[in-house]
Amino acid sequence: MSVSIHSPSQYRETAQRWTRCGRVLAVWAVLLGLSIAWLGADFALGQATLVATYAIAGLGVVIIVGQAGQIVLGQGAFVALGAYAQALLVQAGVAPPLALPLAAAVGALGGALASLPAGRLGGLYFGMSTLAFALIVEELLVRWESLTHGAAGLVVPAFGFAGWTADAPGAQAAVSILVLLALLALCARLLQSRLGRAWRAVREDEMAAAACGIAAGPTKLRAFVVGSSLSALAGGLYAHWIGFISPEQFGLVFSFELLMLVFIGGARQLSGAAWGALVVVAIPQAIAVLRDALPGDWARSAGLELVLFGGVIVGVVLLRPQGLARAADRPSGGAA
Amino acid sequence: MLSFLQVLSSGIAIGCVYGLVALSFVLIYKATETVSFMQGDLLMLGGFAGLALHLALGWPLGLAAFAAVVGVALLGAGLERVALRRAIGQPHLVAVLLTFGLGMMMRGGVASVPAAAQDMYRLPFAADVVTVGPLVLAASHLWVAGATVLLAVLLATFFRHTRAGLALRACSEDARVAALMGVPVARMHTLAWALGAGLAAVAGLLLAPITFVHLNMGFIALKAFPAAVLGGLTSLPGALAGGIFLGVVESLAGLVLPEGAKDLVPYVLLMLALLLFPQGLAAGRMDGRGR
Repeated sequence: MSVSIHSPSQYRETAQRWTRCGRVLAVWAVLLGLSIAWLGADFALGQATLVATYAIAGLGVVIIVGQAGQIVLGQGAFVALGAYAQALLVQAGVAPPLALPLAAAVGALGGALASLPAGRLGGLYFGMSTLAFALIVEELLVRWESLTHGAAGLVVPAFGFAGWTADAPGAQAAVSILVLLALLALCARLLQSRLGRAWRAVREDEMAAAACGIAAGPTKLRAFVVGSSLSALAGGLYAHWIGFISPEQFGLVFSFELLMLVFIGGARQLSGAAWGALVVVAIPQAIAVLRDALPGDWARSAGLELVLFGGVIVGVVLLRPQGLARAADRPSGGAA
Repeated sequence: MLSFLQVLSSGIAIGCVYGLVALSFVLIYKATETVSFMQGDLLMLGGFAGLALHLALGWPLGLAAFAAVVGVALLGAGLERVALRRAIGQPHLVAVLLTFGLGMMMRGGVASVPAAAQDMYRLPFAADVVTVGPLVLAASHLWVAGATVLLAVLLATFFRHTRAGLALRACSEDARVAALMGVPVARMHTLAWALGAGLAAVAGLLLAPITFVHLNMGFIALKAFPAAVLGGLTSLPGALAGGIFLGVVESLAGLVLPEGAKDLVPYVLLMLALLLFPQGLAAGRMDGRGR
């Protein structure tokens, strides 16, 4: 892990980083091209939109779990906050691109609130407080019917501005991929900064970090603010792409999907969010294919899907407890 | 006053269930440092197993309940042997995901049984009432409270006066020192999981007469987390007390607060508890570490 010490080798490193970025982008472009050729443009682009949106949401978890080393068990709530904020703002007449930052701000506020009680604690308590926050948010979304229409959900108009609307799969994919790339660049910059180094220091050893003048509480709080605003931004986009949001979409299972996404992709790299998103979006599709291939009526039961999804989680965790992407990069410390 | 007492009794009954689940969670967490997200699913499994043995096979209720608890405890021990011990020493995230996945598989497995997925079931004595003067109490509430007291006494005896109980406690305090003293730590981990799973199954069977037996009854375990945190996350009596406290407060909130606010109470309490008493409510008294 390079810490930006100013030296001649830094230029070489920067150049290397750019080549690596280029290579990764090329791989993704090839993947997208192949899937368009294989699955048809509309379906492939629709899935690409989902992958990019999930990746943005996962980026938030990467920041909190992978960089700052905290547990978050209720990330779905931040996505929900973003989605509902976006839907309500757009319904109130705000242009979608302008509403997105506001949705992210609402998510940031939620993140700050969720991490507030555990400001002095780490580890499991942190996870518990985010879990409680997520359950409170979910309950409020169901109960506050005058604002959210409760379990009946909200219809969200298409994304667009100044007369242009992104209702074609291609436009949606383009918007979400562009946003993802911009956020990736932003996060990469952030991780090079003082704050990013502080996160890693707190992750590795809180006491040592404190000895170096890094206050653990505010550092974790900032990780939560950044991570939850990223997820909220993803929620805002997601609301547009799906066109309809209801509280149960963002429940506990969704929070765990995001955790699994980061676990599979690898929490230490930002690009892990994208790889994890690809797998998490692909799993339900693969399960659907498998279900059709299996004989007999029992394959139609709703239970099988749960069993298979649970099986995938268990399998991944047992086979690669360090995550799929960087098996060699062993995480240290018990907090993450 | 009368309605207050009735609400209090139902609060204590449901609180006992929260407390037992919290107890099982804390037991596992203390002994193995593993965060279990499948206590709710074990609870559901216990409820269904008891019901299936009683209704489908015609076993007497007591025997069916006992067999269900033993069965789920064995399942817990088996899962520890096969999968869960891999999570020991790993970051919490590994255990959280692993147990969540296993719980999902249990829920899916029960959901694949058509009879289980479609209906809700009640145990036969659920509707009985006991009248004490003007006070009418549900028999099931008394059953639950009685069973919890009995279980607490049994557990206390186990942890204080048996070799295995003492070894398990030693293991929870400091696994390395316990190992040096000749405690078979790996076997204690299996025992902890068996106990934890069995306790969750007992909670499921006790919950059956209060609510119904259905696929999503395991969600009640989410309320066990606040209970465990209120108890300080490391104290077994604290977890039980936290659960009962939570059940009572929740029921009283249902009496006073508007419809729907009741379900928020445990989580709001959890946030407040973390904010105001970061070491758990009992921390000052117990000097950090409870039993």
